[in-house]
Amino acid sequence: MAKNLLNRILSHIVEIKPGEGPIASLLFLYFFLIMFPYGIIKPVRDAQYLVEVGSRELPIAYLLTAVFMGFFIHFYSKLQVKRQALIISSLIFFTVTCFLSREFFVQRVSWIPLVFWIWANIFIVVLGTQFWILVNDVFNPREVKRLIGFFGSGGLLGGVLGGLLTGSLGRDRPDDLLLIASGMLILSIFIVNYIFIWQRKNKPIPDRPNYLNKEKTKGPTKVGFIDCFNTVRKNYYLTLLAAVVTLTFIVSTFIDYQSKTIIGIKVQRIDAMTEFFGYFHAGLYVLPFLISLFVTNNVIKRYGIGLTLLLFPFMLFLCFGGIAFWPVIGFAVAIKSSDKSLSFSLNQYVRELLYIPISPELKYKAKIFIDMFLNRFAKGIGALILLIFIFLPPDPWQRRVKIVSIIAVVFIVAWVFANLKVSKEYTNTVKQKLEMKWDRGDRVVAEKMDVDYTKLVFDTLESRDRSSVLYAMHLFDLIKQDKLTPEVRKLISYKSDEIRITSLGGLFESGETTLVPETDDIISEEVLEKDIKEIMSLDVYKEVMKGYIDKVLVDKTEDAETSKMEVAKAIGLMESHSPLAQKLEELLEDESPEVSKYAIESAARLKRREYVPTLIHKLHSPLTREDACAALEKYGERIVGTLSDYLGDPEEEVGLRKEVASVLARIPIQDSADFLAWELAEDDEDMDPELIDALDRIRSGKPDIQVQKEIIKTKIFKEIKKYYQILIKFYDAESKVKKPKMSEKLSENLTASMMNIFKLLGLIYSHEDIFRAYQNIRTATKDSIDYAVELLDNILPKDIRDVVFPLIEDLPLEERVKRCRTLLKAFPKM
Amino acid sequence: MEINTREKTDVIIFDIEGEIRRSDITDVTLHQLVKDQLDAGKRNILLNFQNVDFIDSFGVGEILASYISTHNLGGKLKIAKISKKLYLVFQVTMLTKVLEIFDEEEVALDSFFKNQ
Repeated sequence: MAKNLLNRILSHIVEIKPGEGPIASLLFLYFFLIMFPYGIIKPVRDAQYLVEVGSRELPIAYLLTAVFMGFFIHFYSKLQVKRQALIISSLIFFTVTCFLSREFFVQRVSWIPLVFWIWANIFIVVLGTQFWILVNDVFNPREVKRLIGFFGSGGLLGGVLGGLLTGSLGRDRPDDLLLIASGMLILSIFIVNYIFIWQRKNKPIPDRPNYLNKEKTKGPTKVGFIDCFNTVRKNYYLTLLAAVVTLTFIVSTFIDYQSKTIIGIKVQRIDAMTEFFGYFHAGLYVLPFLISLFVTNNVIKRYGIGLTLLLFPFMLFLCFGGIAFWPVIGFAVAIKSSDKSLSFSLNQYVRELLYIPISPELKYKAKIFIDMFLNRFAKGIGALILLIFIFLPPDPWQRRVKIVSIIAVVFIVAWVFANLKVSKEYTNTVKQKLEMKWDRGDRVVAEKMDVDYTKLVFDTLESRDRSSVLYAMHLFDLIKQDKLTPEVRKLISYKSDEIRITSLGGLFESGETTLVPETDDIISEEVLEKDIKEIMSLDVYKEVMKGYIDKVLVDKTEDAETSKMEVAKAIGLMESHSPLAQKLEELLEDESPEVSKYAIESAARLKRREYVPTLIHKLHSPLTREDACAALEKYGERIVGTLSDYLGDPEEEVGLRKEVASVLARIPIQDSADFLAWELAEDDEDMDPELIDALDRIRSGKPDIQVQKEIIKTKIFKEIKKYYQILIKFYDAESKVKKPKMSEKLSENLTASMMNIFKLLGLIYSHEDIFRAYQNIRTATKDSIDYAVELLDNILPKDIRDVVFPLIEDLPLEERVKRCRTLLKAFPKM
Repeated sequence: MEINTREKTDVIIFDIEGEIRRSDITDVTLHQLVKDQLDAGKRNILLNFQNVDFIDSFGVGEILASYISTHNLGGKLKIAKISKKLYLVFQVTMLTKVLEIFDEEEVALDSFFKNQ
């Protein structure tokens, strides 16, 4: 009851699914309890350092932080404890040291401002990274993408309130601030503990890191700093990600330096500065808090990861450009605000999303290296660049700010370039996660075997017992194609002793053990073919054969069938302009499918235009369909126009038109695709599945062929609408009417409709990517479905994503139907 | 040619008897029977060739068309109990490169659920 209420409340703020409320709230609270103390620690750190040490020495603090962070990460990465113990012990460590720092500040120990600076940086890096790793453990990538704004806003709310508290107490009771921070950290320990208890009850979290468990018997494997570094170095995508983070933090260091330089000049006293930084940081957190809660999800959904990544550097580029030309305080404040508001919201979340396609093992190591070490190391690089100001004579601050701006712009350009590369590689990395489960069957067959040759071998075997003439002609075909291999010879002589070859002047006379002669010793295939052609082109041959063929054609006895088959086959060996070739039309119409089959084959060899209508009508019968289809395919592009006439003729039988569509699919040229697409626009429900499949076949083999986008897009929406309607009927049949047979049929319709939707998508977007996603959605695990959805998220435009995702995302049926009903109402507007 | 259909452990088995020839086809083809099963949502098809004496090129076409239709939907079509002679023909014509062929029906049935 309480859980449902929580879910209902949260569902107004965030897209939350049943059961996610408690754990999402706990993680929100956990991040809040880390960021609240940080909202206190940060102003104290800045004020102490700027007043006691000075802004000119900031690069030293950045540099030392990078060095100490390196040592710390080396030590941290070697810790071999369970994740729960690791997080809780880290929280205890920071609680105790926070309390001790307060004591050192009270006693005004001289080295504490620098040490506290380094400590504060380690604090946020360690606790922040631990939080995001835990989020990744608890939720899958798609869930993280949906809820990231909510978790993030918890942290930002903590930052705002911590900052406001610091602002109000900074001047009068500064010593109490770190005590409050320690208290908040103690609370977070209880929350973390509760998260693990909840998690154990619901779904177990893998221990840190996952792969360590596999080797329990051997003892834990050590994951050193070098191991983490090598993991990033050897993976191109992670290297790009590391480059993005490095550039982000170098630029961030410049921003930090600029703003602190200005503030250090304007405000001199520690208490006043603590107060100022308290309010300043609180103010800086308000905007990202609002962005996180209300903007992040929409921006990422609408523009995707690629464009969102560019937003941050673009804003900073404008601000730095402004400062370079007009070095005024207004721009410095604007740049700091932009940095904080976007780096704590959009940029942070997109960076977390970039980890989605990484396996848990790699992610853990990469996060240690990139998020814990590299970002501070990058600040160190930034500091090294800024060190030039320590060795240069003190300049007016405006000049310093201007030089830093110019340097920053150069780094921003490199950053944009790295962002473009990483977003492109992101899609590739997601794609690699999705295995292609199967290829189109026709392509598999075409790649692995020669169907014509296979059929020829079977025909040869079949003809052996029927007619020595046919048998000889088949052997001749095999010789012509250079396919009369020793294996085939062995095969066709297998257990056959009934037949003796008498045709072709004894050329194929067999010995005692084999029916196949060693032709190589007698005559070459070229000579043989030439001889046969010459004989068949002789006028006297034509005259004699005409009489024979006429006699056979009028013969209605049973024995005539074989003779007709022989004639049909023989005509195929003649030249296409031979007058005897006209006789083939009659044989094509023969009622015997065997005769018809040989006539079809010969028609495919001669390719005379007058055979085409008969061949098309041969598509009617299942007995001649495949042969007719293969024959028409051999005619190629010159009959595409004729085929399209049949395809678009409503007077023709639907079954025939469907077969014509499949013939067009076997002639993969642009014209075929155009004719099929135009026919698809006619909205004939009977024809649609065949038309879609035909277009799919063309695109799968020739991805460069373009299918008219407008027609297909309209069709996609119609098919999705149809799917919604079937789904609603299916839901009603399952839950209300209880008609199992009806729901079985509807379930079949849903499968077919889903396949059509994806085939249509593959016609206008990357065919390979769409089918990679479809196959994983159809057959794979929950993770594969998530990656498939992620891939589609990156390749489909928003209007299509909005209507496709409710069909494929992991949702309870009731919720899916609810969404479909809502979307269905909006369809007329689409 | 006679074809009987039965179902075992989520696999549709077609017991084919006689010769798969163009001249022996009556009202419905093997490919049509397979398509009917695919339309009904079945994805695992086994052709039992124990009593098949001979097939002609039409028969090969039917088998390949059935294979393509099944494969396009992510299903599997396999053959069991093929005669030695027919297997030799399948080998020479490289049909064995495309079609999975098993000596025993049980082994064929098991193979549908391995590596899933």
